[in-house]
Amino acid sequence: MQRNNRRASFDWSLAWLMAVIVATSSLVLVATDAAPDRVPSLVSWTPETIAAASSGEPFRGMLLAKRCDHCHGAEGFSPIASTPNLIGMNKLALWKQLEDFRSHKRRSRAMEPIAESLSSRDVSDVVSYYAALPVFPDPQDNRVFPGPQPDPGRAAIASRLVTFGDGERGIPPCQSCHGPVAYRTGVPSLATQNGDYVLNQLEMFADRIRANDINMPMRTIAALLTAEERRALAEYYGAGLGLQPASSTGPK
Amino acid sequence: MNWRKLRIFLVTVLVLCVIPATRYYQIDKPLLRFLKSSHHVDPLSLHLSGEFVENNLGTEQDPDGSVTVRMIAQQYLFVPHCILVPAGVPVHLRITSADAVHSLTFNGTEYAVKVLPGTISVAQLQFPRAGDYKTVCREFCGAGHYAMRSELRVVPRDQFPVLRPEERGNCAAQ
Repeated sequence: MQRNNRRASFDWSLAWLMAVIVATSSLVLVATDAAPDRVPSLVSWTPETIAAASSGEPFRGMLLAKRCDHCHGAEGFSPIASTPNLIGMNKLALWKQLEDFRSHKRRSRAMEPIAESLSSRDVSDVVSYYAALPVFPDPQDNRVFPGPQPDPGRAAIASRLVTFGDGERGIPPCQSCHGPVAYRTGVPSLATQNGDYVLNQLEMFADRIRANDINMPMRTIAALLTAEERRALAEYYGAGLGLQPASSTGPK
Repeated sequence: MNWRKLRIFLVTVLVLCVIPATRYYQIDKPLLRFLKSSHHVDPLSLHLSGEFVENNLGTEQDPDGSVTVRMIAQQYLFVPHCILVPAGVPVHLRITSADAVHSLTFNGTEYAVKVLPGTISVAQLQFPRAGDYKTVCREFCGAGHYAMRSELRVVPRDQFPVLRPEERGNCAAQ
């Protein structure tokens, strides 16, 4: 009788042991099999995302955008060269950057807290305001946008990269994604962007400090460009030369 | 009595070994293989989860000595931009597209892999000679199609870096 009891208690301990083993083994397996995924951005361009990004109300966005004026300018042109112009920005491009700031996938000491304070409705409203903002014929602000004209040699390098890219190194032409020839979904137009900002971003992409490009196109391209080419491209766009499609005959 | 203790000890050790091993080989491994062998992916969310997340792209060392290469083709780039494989070793290529139809070809070889969005194209390749091959897209995919090129670097087997299981190799500029 006593022996029977003992055997029963032993069985229970074995059952517990088994349970513990199964639990730990599954934990170990989960831990080893699920390598941490590096996710560049939580945004993916599904129809729902695009609908949410384009559903903003420009008038409400205008009121919200009052607090962007100080750095990004009342007319969408920034007074600081290293701060981006928001005029003429594609709705989806701007929306993605704000969402990435909100989810801390794109790092910025200034923009992360600001974007965090916005709700998702605020984001789409602000975005639709900037997308609808016209370029005023008589600028009233102290914008830096059309920067000084680059020297012809550098302009030629940039113009070649913008128009043709470099097939030998596998660099696609800028204008096939950033316009004006074609746009991919969520890609910003560079036609009215500040040169210093473009240069900063290219360098951050090359150094992988900025890493929120989906499937890493910009990190790859920026790393393929030389420092000289990055500067040439920044000066080219900063001087407003990206407003017209670069001609196939060479630099303007 | 000592024999009985020994028997209990041995059974416990056996159980300790057999249960996780059985679980791994009978459940987890087939399940993972099944999940990985699915040829359908969502082209819009490749970067969020699954096989084609950023840190899983590139060359993976398989236990049997062969390598698996995972790539994304998109307008107008192959990612990673430079693939590194050892010479004379079977290469299992797994590639998918994020947007349009592309075609991956290696100059100097006969290989051509059609890449479609939404499915994983699988190919078994082998490069007997070391060297640099140009990787070219041979399916018109948009405005920048003609510049969609990248590189394949085949290195002798002894020069191929030793990759840890979670490590992925490539030779793209960092």
